[in-house]
Amino acid sequence: MLRQVKPRTARSKRALEKRAPKAVENPKKALFLRGTTCSQITQDAMQDLFALRQTHAKRFHKKNPLHPFEDASSLSFFSEKNDCSLLLFGSSNKKRPHAITFARTFDYKMLDMLEFILDGESFRSISQFKTKKVPVGTRPLMVFAGTAFESPVPNAFTMAKSMLLDFFRGDATDKIDVEGLQFVVVVTADEPTATENPEDPSSKPVLRLRVYTIRTKRSGQKLPRVELEEHGPRMDFRLGRVQEPDSDMLKEALRKAKTNEERTKKNISTDIMGDKLGRIHMGKLDLSELQTRKMKGLKRERDQRSPDEEETVFEEEPKPKRKAKA
Amino acid sequence: MSTETAPTKTPKLPVTVVKPTPYTFDLGLLLANDPNPLSLPSDRSALESHLTATARDGTQVLINQLLTTCPIASTPAGVLLSLPPQQTPLPREKPVPAPKAETKWSAFAKRRGIKPKTREQRRNLQYDQETGEFGRKWGYKGANKSGEDDAIIEVKFNSKKELERKEGTSIRGDKRREIREKIKRNERRQRKNERNTDGRKK
Repeated sequence: MLRQVKPRTARSKRALEKRAPKAVENPKKALFLRGTTCSQITQDAMQDLFALRQTHAKRFHKKNPLHPFEDASSLSFFSEKNDCSLLLFGSSNKKRPHAITFARTFDYKMLDMLEFILDGESFRSISQFKTKKVPVGTRPLMVFAGTAFESPVPNAFTMAKSMLLDFFRGDATDKIDVEGLQFVVVVTADEPTATENPEDPSSKPVLRLRVYTIRTKRSGQKLPRVELEEHGPRMDFRLGRVQEPDSDMLKEALRKAKTNEERTKKNISTDIMGDKLGRIHMGKLDLSELQTRKMKGLKRERDQRSPDEEETVFEEEPKPKRKAKA
Repeated sequence: MSTETAPTKTPKLPVTVVKPTPYTFDLGLLLANDPNPLSLPSDRSALESHLTATARDGTQVLINQLLTTCPIASTPAGVLLSLPPQQTPLPREKPVPAPKAETKWSAFAKRRGIKPKTREQRRNLQYDQETGEFGRKWGYKGANKSGEDDAIIEVKFNSKKELERKEGTSIRGDKRREIREKIKRNERRQRKNERNTDGRKK
């Protein structure tokens, strides 16, 4: 744990304010780390992901002897020390070749982890494509294709989607220049097959990540015709180990900050003329008190005393006696 | 729109995509979901062209959706699209900040309907009618220190202040002492507010 100290200088105060929890958060920073063994392919893949994530990314080159799925405390420490909530850990061994572990933290504690096992044969880095590269900091469009991502119950694929969204989201602004729609990240998932064996990773559906630059052509209509050209990197993944988020922590992490935006009031609408219309609730009407037609036969007789009148007379008599006693 | 046959020589390029299941969008994230099942060929080169075709369709639909549903504003900085707020829930990186604890003053101000001072009111400048210049309200040569260093200061004998005066003090420096006292009093109040909020937390 880092020491929690009161800032002594204005500069350190600003630095602490920058990383303090906010209603509208800073863009998540990604930290790229490598394990003791990390193949050249994994390193190249990490380099490409780092290039796509630039300005909100940090990269470490030293070897780290850690195993995220066995003990994630080091990753939490790195997260806190560098104020990065997305961590990518590259490692490679015989059992899990070219593995990139995506990890997310919440409040510097490990939220969830997912292992992406890269297919070494089909991997192509950015430099292997001879297209014009997009400028640093451009927001990508994203397309997720395949039925696997549409699962209503959270599984490894929906988690992968959430993580890739988080990774490529970058600086989420509410306005974007049309000129800035320059490249697209497309992730397709193979159809889950019936012969899927949970033990054998090669039978699991493949996740294919492709990055294309967008060229728009005049189509003679209002909307342009889109053509794509591969930008790189080209990565095929299989999903490895998963650490699912703790439900309480996830609930806390998905909470939304209260904004000043006015909530829409229920049952109030405006019609075409601009008049305000409201639907109101009247409550239940008490029909027993309803005044119906008066008839002579229903009238009470004069000489008959009502029961509550008699009671009041009876009660009034003993009162003075009590007063006299006291 | 694209199905119409154009009378011109060059055929119009198709800009619409028809799929059995419609796409879903989250324009705040510039995201399109294609829920249609993919039947990918096993051949490597055929696979890549198939993937590119799916990607192109998805991108075309996403760009169509962006350009038709988002309000476009043309500014000197460029043509800007206003995106709607994002819908896909993504986890935050840090907890939602707790609301600021209410102090005794803020509670009172709320009750009385006292608004915080405006930027103009907080400015350390005010117009001096006598000299016709702008001067500071406080701080160096501030208006709240006027008359402090005058050569002669009038002393009202038998006034309450003079009768209760502490040993060894004079009217010189009275204002300074008053300010110090105010600061101390305010700090005491701050500490009390902190104590109260800490008590409530437990």
